[in-house]
Amino acid sequence: MAILTAGFGALSRADWVVLAVYLVAIVSFGLWMGRGNRRVDDFFLAGRQMRWWAAGLSVMATQVSAITFVGTTGQAYTKGMSFLAFYLGLPFAMVILSITLVPFFYRAGVFTAYEYLERRFDARTRTVTSLLFLLSRGLALGVTLYAPSLVLSVVLGWSETATILLMGGATILYVVYGGNRSVIWTDVVQMGLIWVGIFICVGVAITRLPDGFALRDALALAQTTGRLETMDPSLDPTRPYTVWSGLFGGMFLAMAYFGCDQSQVQRYLSGRSLTESRLSLLFNAFLKVPMQFLILLTGVLVFVFFHFHAPPLLWNRAELVRVERAVPPAELQRVQSVFEAAHLERRAAAEAFALARHDGGDESAAREGYLAAGRRLDEAEAEARRLAESVSGEPYNDTNYIFPTFIVSQLSGGLAGLIIAVIFAAAMSSLSGEFNSLATASLVDFYRRYVRTTASDGHYLAVSRLFTAFWGVFACLVALEAGRLGSAIEVVNKFGSYFYGSILGVFGLAVLTPSARPRGAFYGLLAGMTAVFVVSQLTAVAFLWYNVVGAVTVFLVGLAITAVAPGPRPAGTR
Amino acid sequence: MPQETAGRRDDESQVPLFGTWPRIYGAVVVSALVVMMLLTLFSGWPF
Repeated sequence: MAILTAGFGALSRADWVVLAVYLVAIVSFGLWMGRGNRRVDDFFLAGRQMRWWAAGLSVMATQVSAITFVGTTGQAYTKGMSFLAFYLGLPFAMVILSITLVPFFYRAGVFTAYEYLERRFDARTRTVTSLLFLLSRGLALGVTLYAPSLVLSVVLGWSETATILLMGGATILYVVYGGNRSVIWTDVVQMGLIWVGIFICVGVAITRLPDGFALRDALALAQTTGRLETMDPSLDPTRPYTVWSGLFGGMFLAMAYFGCDQSQVQRYLSGRSLTESRLSLLFNAFLKVPMQFLILLTGVLVFVFFHFHAPPLLWNRAELVRVERAVPPAELQRVQSVFEAAHLERRAAAEAFALARHDGGDESAAREGYLAAGRRLDEAEAEARRLAESVSGEPYNDTNYIFPTFIVSQLSGGLAGLIIAVIFAAAMSSLSGEFNSLATASLVDFYRRYVRTTASDGHYLAVSRLFTAFWGVFACLVALEAGRLGSAIEVVNKFGSYFYGSILGVFGLAVLTPSARPRGAFYGLLAGMTAVFVVSQLTAVAFLWYNVVGAVTVFLVGLAITAVAPGPRPAGTR
Repeated sequence: MPQETAGRRDDESQVPLFGTWPRIYGAVVVSALVVMMLLTLFSGWPF
């Protein structure tokens, strides 16, 4: 019985051509832009010659991973736009960083953020923070590569190995050769492509609404289900996305990520001046929230779209095939019939709701009828998920498959290929910046610091390329093994959130308190990480608050230790 | 590995817009607040 998987669609020849052209063009462009690296300064900081808009787009592209793109739309489809709160604090964080950390990094003339900590405190603090970056970013890199590869492998009908090697291999090629200049210029192209893709998706979702069903009706329908709620004023600290967790937790997270994570710091340190560097961050302050709004809106419109087009029983085609093979046909037919009937009922209720709005009918009753029909469809979907879970024996979540399925089944004339290329672009733009930054920290904070303290620029350039290749291959290996790691992958993914805020606290001590000493910074860092671990284990506080807990603990403990038992002064000068 | 000398790229006085850096930062903060206001309007708008 292959009926259930019939509606998933497939890429046309034009789509494959578009995808192939993208991959060849981006690798060629990356290699071309990266030619002429003579010094490590060129390789890691693009000769410090980047304009603000290029560095700013690169900052943005590094943050937008493929799973952000497909996961966020899926999240808007299933739960609505509340995730937007996550970004509310970002503009304020950009202003604070432009005033505080960015000028300090510039005046210190450093390659890595952690290098600055040795000048301000001591080698121990630098080494620990850089090591934490390498551990968390290095392991998370595998997830960055694995998650979209898994989704694309199902959607494109390829093996996971093929998508991992294609995505990882293409990125390794131009980053090893061209370094940060290739990273930034390909990021500019990829970010442009992502913006084009977002507008195409919004446009397609709007134009594919049925006749007589306007955008306003679609938004009213989504609003009825609570999916347009973006500003939850709740003070409950256990709710993940509220105005307050977004403003305060999100601001601390953004300060930690953009201010202390080498994958971001390296993007804006390549600016040709302090002004260019600051503007690249402020550029993100203006554009980030609108961009996420559009991505989430796309997910909401896809949700409305599938009121009028039949969605699959399960969004993950591979799981659906497994279910078809394992479940008795009669049982599967029953579940599918219930699902189809519930979908048709919800469609009729949505049309009745729109009619009541247009003709001045009883809108309230129509709304109630629609919500009741929606609940019945939710129950039918839950039954299908239970079926999948009974077959696999594992929890089933197909949120990340919704958007790619929409693309492949509904877009034609090369557009599906273009949007799949956008997903590749989102993945590769994150990977490239991370390969480059991991190589920088490896070389500058460890190899040059502890192994070969003096050598020629040519030697360091060659070792930089080796480190880049190492991290690229490492990412591919982790991604290839990720399927077998299971829940360990989730642990790895959350690993960074335990100390992000704490590292921010150390940088806060460094730039805001002239009296802070190395001992206070180091033990403050340990105290901050311990505090976050305790809060995460013993309370239900939402994860965005971990960053506030970590940063504040480090700051207060660092100051207290400096006051009570200050220890030796910093070896360097501020 | 050559390193930048302090001060060479310290262009605190170069302000591309609005005359001073505090005004630029103020513009970012005001725009963020306006976006939050628009989002609140969007969520509660009677479509």
